[in-house]
Amino acid sequence: MDILNVLVVDDEYGMRRGAERALRDIVLHLPDINGEVRFEIRTAATGKELEEKLAAGPTDILLLDHKLPDITGLEILDRIGKSSLDLLTIMITAYASLETAVSATRRGAYDFLAKPFTPEELRGAVRKAARHLLLQRQARRLAEEKRQVRFQFTSVLAHEMKSPISAIEGYLQMVKERSIGNSLESYDHMLDRCLIRIEGMRKLIADLLDLTSIESGQRQRSLATVDLADVVRGTVENVKGEAQKRDISIDLEVPDGLMLQADRTEIEMILNNLVSNAVKYNRDHGGVRVSASFIGDEIQIQVQDTGIGMTPEESIRLFNDFSRIKNDKTRHILGSGLGLSTVKKLAMLYEGDVTVKSQPDVGSTFTVRLKNQPSVANAQQSTGSNAVLIFS
Amino acid sequence: MAHILLVDDDQDLIEMNKTALTKHGHKISAAYSAEEARKVAKDNPPDLAVLDVMMEDKTAGFELARRLHEQTPNLPMIMLTGIRKEMNLNYSFAPDETWLPVTKFLEKPVNPRVLADEVDKLLAGKS
Repeated sequence: MDILNVLVVDDEYGMRRGAERALRDIVLHLPDINGEVRFEIRTAATGKELEEKLAAGPTDILLLDHKLPDITGLEILDRIGKSSLDLLTIMITAYASLETAVSATRRGAYDFLAKPFTPEELRGAVRKAARHLLLQRQARRLAEEKRQVRFQFTSVLAHEMKSPISAIEGYLQMVKERSIGNSLESYDHMLDRCLIRIEGMRKLIADLLDLTSIESGQRQRSLATVDLADVVRGTVENVKGEAQKRDISIDLEVPDGLMLQADRTEIEMILNNLVSNAVKYNRDHGGVRVSASFIGDEIQIQVQDTGIGMTPEESIRLFNDFSRIKNDKTRHILGSGLGLSTVKKLAMLYEGDVTVKSQPDVGSTFTVRLKNQPSVANAQQSTGSNAVLIFS
Repeated sequence: MAHILLVDDDQDLIEMNKTALTKHGHKISAAYSAEEARKVAKDNPPDLAVLDVMMEDKTAGFELARRLHEQTPNLPMIMLTGIRKEMNLNYSFAPDETWLPVTKFLEKPVNPRVLADEVDKLLAGKS
């Protein structure tokens, strides 16, 4: 629950007491912004007292009488305007003249309340101000969280970039200093490792660009009917070399004519990530199976491998940015830790998700569920039912 | 010859430092995580440990240093770090809550030969 500090400034004792009673001990519910607020009330009778109270502690809402014995409300507004941006003033006046309202608003008053008013009217005005302040606070909290997330992301990214540089630099220094003799062949392994780490950095940069292009929303999406079988074949082509080298078979169970309204590049990113992982984290002589089908109005893609698998704890953090499962089995495998987090973000664009079932040393099955893009809702119905027909 | 424990989650860093230290005549144990390091140190106590800071989490090396110190109070330790500046991490050599029982800090990247020289210096100082 938020607490807002209200300062009631009026030279009439009855007014101060009345306002205090109307606001004290109530909890305002603002369900539309998920807010709850109560008030701490302080009062002041003169301009001098007001200044003392303002200086003494935080004030969020000022209920300000237009006429005080030693100063006018408008003069107070002028002073406050220069010192505080977070204070909302509700001007109280005995005679509701438009002129006073206009000059008060011009000098920064948030709202206006004409005497005489009921406790309910007072609460209404305060409620409006409280809502404004709470929204402002929420926006600030959100901005702060975003800054924190960005800082975290950048810190980890910096570390991920510096690690390969350290490795390459170290190896090159050893080569330069001929640390293990003069024969060039002795350094083959070090140079190979340098090349591998450079490849890893290139992959990190590519994945980073993919991820940020999705997150920024800047990327121009071009929605069209995408033939899933066609995308899968292209994806498999990319990993074929690696799979053959390690005798990993790849089976496809994706019927022709499985159509999805989607951005082709996004679907390629999803499949490329999952299928290349299924090969990378597989055992030699293992297998990968890619299957897809419509279930209701969702397309479900499954990529199954016979690889190293994961524990349930590892599976949980798998889809976070830069999350890599580091152990003896994965240490030699290159990865940016961004691929699956990208898949997750892409699936969310399609009102879907990605999940994993895995067992250590048995394998993992990744399941992605995607919906036809709603912006082409008209095509959704027919495409969906066609696909089911073809499939059945 | 001494028994050196290398702890780093980067296999290349382990590999190059191992090469350099082996050349200086040392026997090397490697661990890729703080957890593994504690186990190795318990089973086969090293004469000196070289620790990376950022492993399982961004300060895993700090915690490891404290644990190794508990296990072997006189163990000299070298900490390799490149993250003090960007992560605003606090530590000091004074015995307070930020204290680290580390003999020497080296800022990454560290030339493996320089590391091997530092190891020899520390070992010579000890004996």
